[in-house]
Amino acid sequence: MVGPSGAGKSTILRILAGVERRAAGEVVVKGNCWQDTSDETWVPSWKRRVGWVPQETLLFPHLTVRENLSYGGALYDWVSETAALLQIRELLDRRPRRLSGGERQRVALGRALLSRPRLLLLDEPFSALDRSLRVELSQLVSDWALDRSVPIVLVSHDEEDAKWLANERWLVGGGGLRRE
Amino acid sequence: MSHKAKTSICRAQPQRRSLTTLIGKSLLAAIWWAALVAPIQPDGAVASEVLEEIQERKDQRLLVLAAASLSDVLPRIGKEWERLGGRPLAFSFDATSRLAVQAAQGGSGDVFFSADAAWIHWLEAEGALSPGSATHFAANDLVIVVPSDAPMPVGLQRLSEFKRVALAGENVPAARYAREALEQLGVWSEVKDRVIRGGSVRATLEWVSRGEVPAGIVYRTDAIAEPSVQIAFIFDGVQYPKALYWAAPLASTLYEESVADFLDFVSGDVGQASLQEAGFRLPQADIGDGSIGAFSNKVTDRESPASISSAIRLSLIVAFLATIVGLIPAVGLGWVLARFDFRGKAILSTIVTAPLVMPPVVTGFLLLSVLGASTPLGGLVASLGFPVPFTILGASIAALVVGLPLYVISVRGAFEAVDPMYEELSWTLGCSRLKTFFRVSLPLALPGIAAGAVLAFARSLGEFGATVVLAGNVEGSTRTIPLAVYTLLESPTGRETIWVLVGASVGISLLALLGFETLSRRQKSRLEDRRAR
Repeated sequence: MVGPSGAGKSTILRILAGVERRAAGEVVVKGNCWQDTSDETWVPSWKRRVGWVPQETLLFPHLTVRENLSYGGALYDWVSETAALLQIRELLDRRPRRLSGGERQRVALGRALLSRPRLLLLDEPFSALDRSLRVELSQLVSDWALDRSVPIVLVSHDEEDAKWLANERWLVGGGGLRRE
Repeated sequence: MSHKAKTSICRAQPQRRSLTTLIGKSLLAAIWWAALVAPIQPDGAVASEVLEEIQERKDQRLLVLAAASLSDVLPRIGKEWERLGGRPLAFSFDATSRLAVQAAQGGSGDVFFSADAAWIHWLEAEGALSPGSATHFAANDLVIVVPSDAPMPVGLQRLSEFKRVALAGENVPAARYAREALEQLGVWSEVKDRVIRGGSVRATLEWVSRGEVPAGIVYRTDAIAEPSVQIAFIFDGVQYPKALYWAAPLASTLYEESVADFLDFVSGDVGQASLQEAGFRLPQADIGDGSIGAFSNKVTDRESPASISSAIRLSLIVAFLATIVGLIPAVGLGWVLARFDFRGKAILSTIVTAPLVMPPVVTGFLLLSVLGASTPLGGLVASLGFPVPFTILGASIAALVVGLPLYVISVRGAFEAVDPMYEELSWTLGCSRLKTFFRVSLPLALPGIAAGAVLAFARSLGEFGATVVLAGNVEGSTRTIPLAVYTLLESPTGRETIWVLVGASVGISLLALLGFETLSRRQKSRLEDRRAR
């Protein structure tokens, strides 16, 4: 999804994540109906299994990186493996306060991937990373999603991200979505 | 005698001087005020302003400090006095003991009405009265009262069967007389441990009339004026003490003549008629010159009325209990008010916060009306073995209710400071609302919650008004630091003890606030840098 700021890209992600309930309509993902205001269907957030990486990263400040990564229930070894892939292994015992912006984004991404999501919601996930790492991680996420056939909704202004992760491009604005 | 009179005038001098400085100060204040206001007042006439103020002093009221048991009858006499052209009066009614200490310390007031001779002597010794100036003008009987629906008659022997007996504070004349009467009867040692102390005779009456205490000892006049109690026994007879009322001009008065006239008026026909109508007795003939009463002629603490260690220990227990028991409602209410929008939220918030702004005495009265042993809820709780009034439980409940607003406000603030997106994120990671509360919201708000607990703890330590109404002033079980200070205020020998308690109180409060400050900072740093940019 692309579009000017304030157009509602993040809100769409919030609706998909089930943390924003004010909108009317239907949310159907891979055949599962999560919200339908006509018959009051509502699947709460904690039963949807979405991996949400918000722009603000929102690492839990009272937990270490490892505790953040395993928050969704991932086992120790798996956390270590994923941390190695994301190149944050040496940060596992730190508190979020002592991480740089790029490090935070990787931890937030790892936390989402480790929760075994059925849908991945990425909001400017690599904006604080340098170019080479950006390409590397885009590829990594792309492979990960293809392996498990997990759809990704990506909000980004970066062509590189889009190239690796997107096969459709939607423009948000004027109160609606338009395929480009 | 004349020598004595001279010394008393000499003693009075410093009072005068302090009064003149006071007048000087108020003049200065008036000028200062006038200077401030002058720009908006076109003619800003400072001099005439000052003149007016001096003029006003000429018809200033007489300040009458009088024993609480006179609070019905004295204004009636005063009205008649004013109607006949006497100088207008202003009354301050309280227990004689408290008034005496105030008069001696504050050095103000024009005339003093005491319910016993002892405090008159004490005031003379303090230089607040000229010796020999006091007159004995009325007497009062002591009676045992029971609730008006209690079975009658109640013989004296039954007094020792009552589970509790209400008396006024140790140094309040009514209570001292009562103690002497019981000592005469030889039952004091049995009754002693069941005594519940109210601040004054009025508080004693209130408890008996509500049935919270099965019996109390008060003045006959008070018992007559209160329809919901009945007199079960009158301490009538030469072997029992009678309350002897004395009146005297205070050394601080500027209106000796008016005061002397007013005292004559009270002792005269009009005054005596009103007094008798209210149930007072004629002055007792055998009292003579006013210096020798058969009983209670000396103010002494036969035992220390309040123990420092017991007061501090009780205060800490009560405050800890209130803080710990209050934790769950405070966290629950704080969380609900911070995170949910619902119908009636404003009302809930108002009710919870109300004790912060309501007079604590009112809160205590409402609590007594809900939790008193004679109420359905209070009766139920008492039948489970937890009576609320006059127990440490009651003191803790009073402290809890009065401390809860600060608790809830702090906790609510702590939860509101946590970005709700942390909670939303936790949901998407598979944690329900409840799980999220314990894994995210609670830990993040923890320092703020602790700060609220510290604040509530400090507030509970200082709780007085609601405690004294709901839990009374019972040495060893509800006499916390503030109540002990209050009790000692009316004790002639309590000074040093008061300072120890004041020191403890100030120390603990400041420590608690320091703790609050530190924890609030920690709360901030805990949430610090929560967004990566």
